[in-house]
Amino acid sequence: MISTRLEGDGDSAIGLVTLARPDKRNALTPEMLTALRHAVNDLAPAVGAIVLEGERSGDRNVFCAGFDLSLCQGNDGDSVLEAMLVGLSAAVRTLRSAEVPIVAAAAGAAVAGGCALLGGCDIVVTDSQSKIGYPVVKLGISPAVSAATLRTLIGEGRARERLLDPAVITGAEAGRIGLAHEVMASSAEVAPRAAAIARELAAKPRAGIVATKSWLNQLDGSIDARWADRTLAASLSLVGGIEQHRLLPQAWSR
Amino acid sequence: MSSLATLHIETRLARLTLNRPEACNALSLDLLAALHERLGQLEANRDVQVVVITGAGTAFCAGMDLKQVLGDPGAPERLLRLLAEFTIRLRALPAVVVGAVNGAAIGGGCGIACVCDLTVTHSDSKMGFPEVDLGICPAVVAPWLVRKIGAGRARQVLLSGGLITGQRAFELGIVTDVVPSAGELDARVSALIERLLTGGPDAVRATKNLLNELDGSSDPASVLKGADLSAAVIALPETQKLLRDKLGL
Repeated sequence: MISTRLEGDGDSAIGLVTLARPDKRNALTPEMLTALRHAVNDLAPAVGAIVLEGERSGDRNVFCAGFDLSLCQGNDGDSVLEAMLVGLSAAVRTLRSAEVPIVAAAAGAAVAGGCALLGGCDIVVTDSQSKIGYPVVKLGISPAVSAATLRTLIGEGRARERLLDPAVITGAEAGRIGLAHEVMASSAEVAPRAAAIARELAAKPRAGIVATKSWLNQLDGSIDARWADRTLAASLSLVGGIEQHRLLPQAWSR
Repeated sequence: MSSLATLHIETRLARLTLNRPEACNALSLDLLAALHERLGQLEANRDVQVVVITGAGTAFCAGMDLKQVLGDPGAPERLLRLLAEFTIRLRALPAVVVGAVNGAAIGGGCGIACVCDLTVTHSDSKMGFPEVDLGICPAVVAPWLVRKIGAGRARQVLLSGGLITGQRAFELGIVTDVVPSAGELDARVSALIERLLTGGPDAVRATKNLLNELDGSSDPASVLKGADLSAAVIALPETQKLLRDKLGL
């Protein structure tokens, strides 16, 4: 469900980490989130930059549709949701604390947990028509877990809007507010552009890049464990509640 | 007093000029020392409401004088400390500081443009932070850029390195205004100065002071720590070798 490959060799090699569950629009499971962390940790020391992308789903380019909520239907549904939130928080921290930059190829859709992953990446490429956002409050789930990184990415005012308003925005709008750094005209151009950026970053002397990423993490507080813990706790506090049990089944009837 | 930085004060307006045009106003130890002296004069002056910083000749500031940091092991740290302290003192001036970016503003030079309260350039000026291309960490300017354009965009700009046009710097928020050509810069800056001078001096000072407090500008810790971090990266043997190769020394 996570595939990795290495491109090039030596100091300028890049790593590609692919969310590979195309029949489910790369929807996340607890196991995938764990595998994602391992993939990033394994690749980072050997490459100059990493691309995080989604496998093409049928005839569409898709980054990630968020959590696979169909897994939350059984008796242990709440514990699965809890595991996904914990796994997502840990994955975002892993992306952010990886020593080399991470470039997200957010083609087509990066929704809910998929959008949260973008917050851990250093440079986000998307396409003008992609769907981006956090529609999860409609399901009784709080996207608070994303708040720690989102506010550093787009500022307090816009983070408030994105986390409270369940609207999904286009990639073009994401570019305008700073949630994406580069916006391509079509979804097919996203992965090649992300790989090109990663190669450019990997070609630069490693020590300067590693020191710069680490310093930016300190400056914006995005690896501050207190914030990550607090935001995760806010999302976890709703799991198993009456509202979530009332609203979540909508996700299963789609 | 050194002529590497000149200061002209006309009652409420001061013009501070980096005056090393033959080196594109690159920040040498002597130039930074001269800038510090000029800041001392400005800090002692209670009448100045607006300070305009610009570069003599066709460049604004080409950044750190990298040739000076090679060969002398103590030089990078001294240079970066002086730059860090200069940015801290510049931001702390009670007067509004306007950057008139007349040409190239690169690395530390682009950092100075960020520290100015308001910055005007022309659409073709060469700006940006190519530090990572040379294996250097732009740690002194990073806190200022994060404050100026936000952490998300600062991350892209600093990790990507390279140079950008004045127009792109305007789109990113690194400068606050842009004119189509270099010839139009002076008129736009003059109009801005005129507007700024209409403000009540106490109201403007109080506002700037508050903004410095709110965005963390008045806390020097991160900028000073950045100087140490940047010097540590320059001191690495691999960085020294790279700089020698790239600068042809």
